[in-house]
Amino acid sequence: MDLYAALQAVINGLLTGALYALVGMGLALIFGVMRIVNFAHGAFMMLGMYATYVLFTRTQISPYLLFIVSGIVLFAIGYAIYFALLRPIHGKSDFMQILLTLGIGLICTDGVLLVFGADYHQINIPLLGKNLHLGSHISVNAPWVVSFGIAVVLAFALYLFVMRTMIGRAARAIAQNRYAAPLMGINVFRVQAICFALGIAAAGIAGGLLLPVFYIYPQVGDQFTLKAFVMVVLGGMESIVGAALAGLVLGVVESLTSLYWGNEWALAVDFVIFLLVLSLKPSGIFGRQRA
Amino acid sequence: MKRFHLLAAVVVFVLSLLLPLVVETGYALQILFRIYLFAALGLAWNLVGGYAGQLSLGHAAYFGAGAYGLALFSGKLGVSPWLAALMGVVVALACALLIGGVSFRLRGPYFVLATIAFAEVVRLIAKNLPNVTGGDVGAQVPALFHGNVNRAFYWAAVMLTALAFATTVAISRARFGYYLMAIREDEDTALSVGIGAARTKLVALLVSAALTALAGALYASLFLYIVPDQVLSIDVSNEIAIVAMLGGAGTVLGPIVGSVVLESASELFKDIFKEAHLLIYGVLLVVVVLFLPEGIIGTLAAFLRRRALFGGIKAGAKGVAAD
Repeated sequence: MDLYAALQAVINGLLTGALYALVGMGLALIFGVMRIVNFAHGAFMMLGMYATYVLFTRTQISPYLLFIVSGIVLFAIGYAIYFALLRPIHGKSDFMQILLTLGIGLICTDGVLLVFGADYHQINIPLLGKNLHLGSHISVNAPWVVSFGIAVVLAFALYLFVMRTMIGRAARAIAQNRYAAPLMGINVFRVQAICFALGIAAAGIAGGLLLPVFYIYPQVGDQFTLKAFVMVVLGGMESIVGAALAGLVLGVVESLTSLYWGNEWALAVDFVIFLLVLSLKPSGIFGRQRA
Repeated sequence: MKRFHLLAAVVVFVLSLLLPLVVETGYALQILFRIYLFAALGLAWNLVGGYAGQLSLGHAAYFGAGAYGLALFSGKLGVSPWLAALMGVVVALACALLIGGVSFRLRGPYFVLATIAFAEVVRLIAKNLPNVTGGDVGAQVPALFHGNVNRAFYWAAVMLTALAFATTVAISRARFGYYLMAIREDEDTALSVGIGAARTKLVALLVSAALTALAGALYASLFLYIVPDQVLSIDVSNEIAIVAMLGGAGTVLGPIVGSVVLESASELFKDIFKEAHLLIYGVLLVVVVLFLPEGIIGTLAAFLRRRALFGGIKAGAKGVAAD
């Protein structure tokens, strides 16, 4: 019986972890190409949730289709923010970039607070009541299975984009050596803009996919910013595959922590793992040695 | 010139102490208390974030240690309030030793992330151990002052700012201060000329944490009641860093100017933005990074230097013309 509980927790953890993976991959992509730790990452995810929420309440179309729209919206926002705010401070110190993204995050969060208020919102879709049974002891909530499937497909697509397309190759070239890349004819600003926008769109899509199973409120993204940091550090900062694996690991660890110690300790365990990795193996568990 | 600076500082200090004779409403005094408290916090942060160039976004841990130290040592162990506040400082120093020991080995974004993670762990521990800290329900804080409390707390905040200011001035002129600045400019070069970077940074952090904890105790005692999401929140860390960066990190006056501007702005916009009061922080952060990367004081100083240089050239040209 106890074994089933653990197995159930692992499965739930993997289902959550796939969405974490999408958020973490976005942050890793941005860090790899721009060397910017995006402190506004969770805020953009929250924008994705609200975008999906607003579209859903207006059109009643399933959030599992609407996430495409919110992804496009977030991509546009990211592209605009890159050229308006991030490009002007290109090459400035880490501090400036961290403070800028921190500021952007605060503006997003409190902007939404100003428009929508601090109330919690939730949507109701028929799928929420359905459970899938695997054997007699294990059951999973249908929305999580759907969002897991979509997240896996998108994560794989993002991986193919980075590995196979010309822009993806350019992005990896910039991540390897940002001084040599422009000498090879790569338009660094354009590639950075696309990658920043894609990273944010990934977070926004994960937000949209989480909407049916989450309460949303303006600060909902804050915890995801911190979790995304944990993922990229575990995964070796710029490795999107590492971040994806770390997302799954984090989901399972949180789920098991909740089972054995209680939900309230899940985030604390995240941070303790994070600090241990930072101090013992700063290249990350899944990452290669950093230069 | 130096004597003039000292005189100006003393005059401002005395005028600050005399201010409650003119300003008598409790509300106004509380706003002034906040301005001075965050000036002191910004000055404390500035030692690590400004002079040593280590961007800590986890100062809420020390702030909260001071606040909870006062509340718990006094509430649970029955220690007298002032002694409890000092014990809170000791707790903050222990936190700083641990946090600094681990995170100062990291650089750039890794350091920043480690400071955030530590502060968050402290917050979550405070939240999840209700038997010790009262958890989310919160903890009662003893009063450090009695009688006309608004006035007393205001004076205490002014004294704390003066202490932080004097410490900053002393450090910025001492060999130790130059070590910190050398580490900020280029840590590897600083190491190669024989500066023990790890120890130097740690000492700066200890001084910073002690001052921050004192401010935390003052803050908690004014409100008489604290919860983890208030005194240990990442918003506290952010606000402290914003104050210093806005005024000018690595300058003596910057954090004071930053606190006056930030706290006045958030007071002014409070009625417009209501609960979205952090919006103004976000806007100020973006403005500072894009247009005033050296903060208000840093930009002003650069402007004055340029003008002095330009004025000198003009005076020289006049002299040549007169010849």
